[in-house]
Amino acid sequence: MNCFKHLWGRPITVVIIMSLLFLSPLLAGPAHAGKYDGVTINIMTFTGPQIAEPLQRRAPEFKKLTGATVNVITVPFSDLYTKLLTDWATGTNSIDAAVFAPQWMADYVGPGYLEDISTRIAKDKALELDDIGEFFREFSMKFGGKTYTITLDGDFQIAYYRSDLLKKAGMKPPRTWDDYLAIAKKFHGQDMNGDGKPDYGSCISKKRNAQAFWMITSVWGGFIQAKGTSEGAFFDLKTMKPLVNNEAFAAALDVYVESTKYGPPDEINLDVGDTRGLFTSGRCALSVDWGDIGTLAIDPKTSKVQDKVGAVILPGSKKVLDRATGKLIACNSSRCPHAVNGINHAPFAAFGGWSGGINAAAKQKVKDAAYDFFSYMSQPAQSNVDVTIGITGFNPYRISQFENLDVWIKAGMSRQAAEDYLVAIKASLNSPNMVLDLRIPQNQRYQQIVLDTAIARLLAGEITKAQCMQEIENGWEEITEELGRKEQLKAYRATLGR
Amino acid sequence: MKKRLAAFSEWADMRAPAVFILPAIMVILMLAIFPLIVSLYLSLSRFKFIKGGFSLKFIGLLNYKKLLVGSQQFHFLGVFGKLTVLEIGILILAAVLLIVWLVRYFRSGRLSIIGVLGRLILTTGVLALTWLILLTINQNGYPGTLVVTIFYVVFGVLIQFLIGLGLALLCAQRIPGRNFFRLVFFFPLMVTPVGIAYTFRMLVDTTIGPFTPIWEFFGWGAIPWVTIPWAARWVILLGDTWQWTPFMFIVLLAALENQPRDQVEAAIVDGASGWQIFRDITWPAIIPVCVTLILIRLIEAFKIIDLPNVLTNGGPGIASESLTLHSFMAWRTLDLGGSAAVAYMLLFISVFFAMSFVNFASHRLKDA
Amino acid sequence: MSTKRSIYQILFEAKSIDDVAPVPKTLTYIILGFWTFVCLFPLYWLIVTSFKIPIQVHDGPMYFPGIDFKPSMHAWYYIFVDLGNDTLRPYFNTIIVSISSSIIAVVIGSMAGYALTRITYQPKLGSVLMFIGTLVLTVISVVWLGLAWPIALASGLALYVVMLTTVGRRFKKSLHNNDIAFFMISQRILPPVAVVIPIYVLFQRIGLLDTHAALIITYTAVNLPIVVWLMRDFFESIPMDLEESAALDGASRYRVFFTIILPLSKPGLAATFLLVLILCWNEYLIALFLSTANAQTLPLLVAAMNATRGPQWWYMAVVIIIMITPVIAITIVLQRFITRGLLIGAVKG
Repeated sequence: MNCFKHLWGRPITVVIIMSLLFLSPLLAGPAHAGKYDGVTINIMTFTGPQIAEPLQRRAPEFKKLTGATVNVITVPFSDLYTKLLTDWATGTNSIDAAVFAPQWMADYVGPGYLEDISTRIAKDKALELDDIGEFFREFSMKFGGKTYTITLDGDFQIAYYRSDLLKKAGMKPPRTWDDYLAIAKKFHGQDMNGDGKPDYGSCISKKRNAQAFWMITSVWGGFIQAKGTSEGAFFDLKTMKPLVNNEAFAAALDVYVESTKYGPPDEINLDVGDTRGLFTSGRCALSVDWGDIGTLAIDPKTSKVQDKVGAVILPGSKKVLDRATGKLIACNSSRCPHAVNGINHAPFAAFGGWSGGINAAAKQKVKDAAYDFFSYMSQPAQSNVDVTIGITGFNPYRISQFENLDVWIKAGMSRQAAEDYLVAIKASLNSPNMVLDLRIPQNQRYQQIVLDTAIARLLAGEITKAQCMQEIENGWEEITEELGRKEQLKAYRATLGR
Repeated sequence: MKKRLAAFSEWADMRAPAVFILPAIMVILMLAIFPLIVSLYLSLSRFKFIKGGFSLKFIGLLNYKKLLVGSQQFHFLGVFGKLTVLEIGILILAAVLLIVWLVRYFRSGRLSIIGVLGRLILTTGVLALTWLILLTINQNGYPGTLVVTIFYVVFGVLIQFLIGLGLALLCAQRIPGRNFFRLVFFFPLMVTPVGIAYTFRMLVDTTIGPFTPIWEFFGWGAIPWVTIPWAARWVILLGDTWQWTPFMFIVLLAALENQPRDQVEAAIVDGASGWQIFRDITWPAIIPVCVTLILIRLIEAFKIIDLPNVLTNGGPGIASESLTLHSFMAWRTLDLGGSAAVAYMLLFISVFFAMSFVNFASHRLKDA
Repeated sequence: MSTKRSIYQILFEAKSIDDVAPVPKTLTYIILGFWTFVCLFPLYWLIVTSFKIPIQVHDGPMYFPGIDFKPSMHAWYYIFVDLGNDTLRPYFNTIIVSISSSIIAVVIGSMAGYALTRITYQPKLGSVLMFIGTLVLTVISVVWLGLAWPIALASGLALYVVMLTTVGRRFKKSLHNNDIAFFMISQRILPPVAVVIPIYVLFQRIGLLDTHAALIITYTAVNLPIVVWLMRDFFESIPMDLEESAALDGASRYRVFFTIILPLSKPGLAATFLLVLILCWNEYLIALFLSTANAQTLPLLVAAMNATRGPQWWYMAVVIIIMITPVIAITIVLQRFITRGLLIGAVKG
């Protein structure tokens, strides 16, 4: 018996010793015992490299600091919205947090899928909240007065021009949309990249079912919103009637349609990727885009126009909408309190900039870790580096990101280009009249279906300007009725901080 | 033990009919019938997010009403123009032909309830579609996704079938190198549809595509196809043809190679011309294959989505949008009810076409 | 036989039945050559694009690497080195999912196809409807009422048996083999968009989301109709005598099927397998919904190359190229079967 016991005992000893050997590093633990050891956060975003790249790059750093493992899960950009909603709405909850467009917040906050992070953010010193542009702090991160997301990327549209051409022709960068059209007309048909072929005056992405509806909103913003972000540029604040069937909207449509004349012949089939390609290969004099062209233009792999690109705040208008009558009337100091030299600019925070939000149904510890990760990403030490790298797709949104030109020059911009670029971004970011993107529930149906289809049909000549405005108005009213006018109005006012 | 095994195997043999077919039936029931019923319900309801989940509110036929007479009519059916005299003539002619056909059937004396019902549905369906097509493709009208999809299906299947048949006839000859062609002609089918769509977007681009010099040579650089509705639709059909001709080709080639060789040889010895051989020997031999082939392709063709989605996103305007894309766009914005309604309309139309085709073809086969 | 032939005869008439005359032959080669160009040029363009840097793509067409532009490996480097595992994982997923579901679909489908040609089925219409009814009830109780699925399945089955034995005998009208076959093919009509949400919810409830199993099962169901149709046609062309003599010798149906019929239909199996494999390999929408991180397949990677900065043509080209290479290889291997495969299979409609 004894010898049996002995034999039996030996392997077990070996096993114990072996497992002790294996476990010892764990038992001893790392010297800096992480706050979130063993916690795994599943973060979803779209397949990059943009946005996903910095998250993946910073994940190991974060693990070293806190012990939490960050899993970045990616799906194609076009399906991110539906994919997230189905995961959360059906209670699958395999996604703990996501980096998404804050525009979708309305659909996520209403049903309670998103975690309210107001108290966390109030206690978070390292985030340096005051450094984040006011628009993002006060509007973009909030819904109905509570904070739900942390901005990681500043997205608004600005106008780009070829500084070399304008200088040669002795022209000033566009300040109004009329200026814009005049410049486009002047350069349309000239050879601008030296290949002997005529190039184009203005390249704006007008492809249907892509991102064109943001472009038209960029144009109409200056005509319709004059009294600050909280005035809104989509609906009447009392009746929820769309602001799309009036003289101001008609004027914006005129600009939009006329700019097509000075664009590439297939402009109505160009996505932003295409217009960026055309602009950076030197084939366009003007373009309207997010901050991306600025960083793409300095990369020799993608650009032929290094140091030839200038940027300005979106052009504005000297006349704005009178909401009572629907007429277009001249600006004065009471109508356009934020006008510069009599021109009302309304930069458009299209899309709103990629932001991190947390699934309310995740485990407490995971939520804490996810918050800390987003905070870490947004803190100046990390963010101020990331926004200068083209591949991250992050655009500046912090005030400190304009103060230090050196990081931009280090990233490859000339001093002049960096100044030009940052001036436009700074002017937009500091504008109290930034247009907030539509963020009411099912905004995708308002914009991507009704607005986008009507504009596409107008450009294709299927319908007239009047029919187009009528179609948008009817379509929007129908959705509003369907979802409940009162609820929609409440949501609309909530996004504007009212 | 052995006895029991024998008893078991006898029992199993008795049950063989069920064992053979049940797995297939079960799988299809679980994953096809069930979603079918759920999406029928979806199409009758409104999808909304509520606290902690989602709700489905039953709204009856509202989603369908919207498509047929409501705010989405222009999208689904199209914008109606005014019929010209010529078009009214065509419509009357079609009506007369169909009525003659019906009358002949009633006189034949072989009546059955299903037969009468089927023919009545067919007649009304064909008349309604003719009327719709004439109404929307004339001067003042714009065809909606329904008409555009029918265009893709009818012309796509026809063209692919003809090219496939032609190539198969050529490849069926005893010439050196046909295995090479057989392999190469099969390639397009292997590329993922999304990939094909992007590849074609590159190819047909008038500023960065490889054919740019040709456009410019002809002075077409300034009039790009994307702004002309019919040009956009044909370009999409071009991609579709590239992708699906191989399928037609490979099946038809196999059928041709299997036709009775001795008959053909006898005909050649008798001095029959190529056309005569094709008409009298080859064609009757491959007709059954053609029917199956066209049926399968017809069903797939109605689901065209990737090409219009990537090439034009349905533009210019809504000129090149297909029904599936229409449904997909609604679905993407989570208008699940509207999306399911479009999908169900598509289901009706495809079933209508498939049934009509099968009946038509089977009558032809019987006559032949 | 005349020994001298006129010029017309030399050019236009074949010397023997197995030969083709020069002029038609030349024309044939011209047309086939043209179509070869049509088939290959897009693929060539993909290869060329994969070696371009962005500026070379946007700067108008360039055709020959090394001649009118300097080829760069940056896109290949990005896909294989930078993305690394994010490329390989979908690659393995695609291989596992499409091969397993093709095999299952071909096995189940050919069994059904065989049965539909050799066995006469006359299910009563009423009992079929009843079955669908109980199935729907079962599913509803799982999806909306949250019943555990084994319980729901068992009680559904019990309910069906009870109903079948009590009211089942009253039904008269029955279905035939052709009805069953048409029912199967009709399952392919509904666009995937309409069925993907219910399927998602189904797999979510049984906890199979983001697994290979979910994709394999769904692809099997989606492609089964095609297998049944093609294989049914194929089996019809196999003469009955073999089976009859085997049956006389006392072989069971299974034995007949697995030892006589299947080996005889290798070509048809190969062709059908290839077709189904290609369909699974390239499927996008279902894969998008049923997979999140672990089970993602390659078509998602292609679509993902169109992000906020527009289509990344160069990366996309690389992904498409690495996607079709294995399929081409399999096709070459299976080609000798396919020639004969669809050949018999497709003969009878």
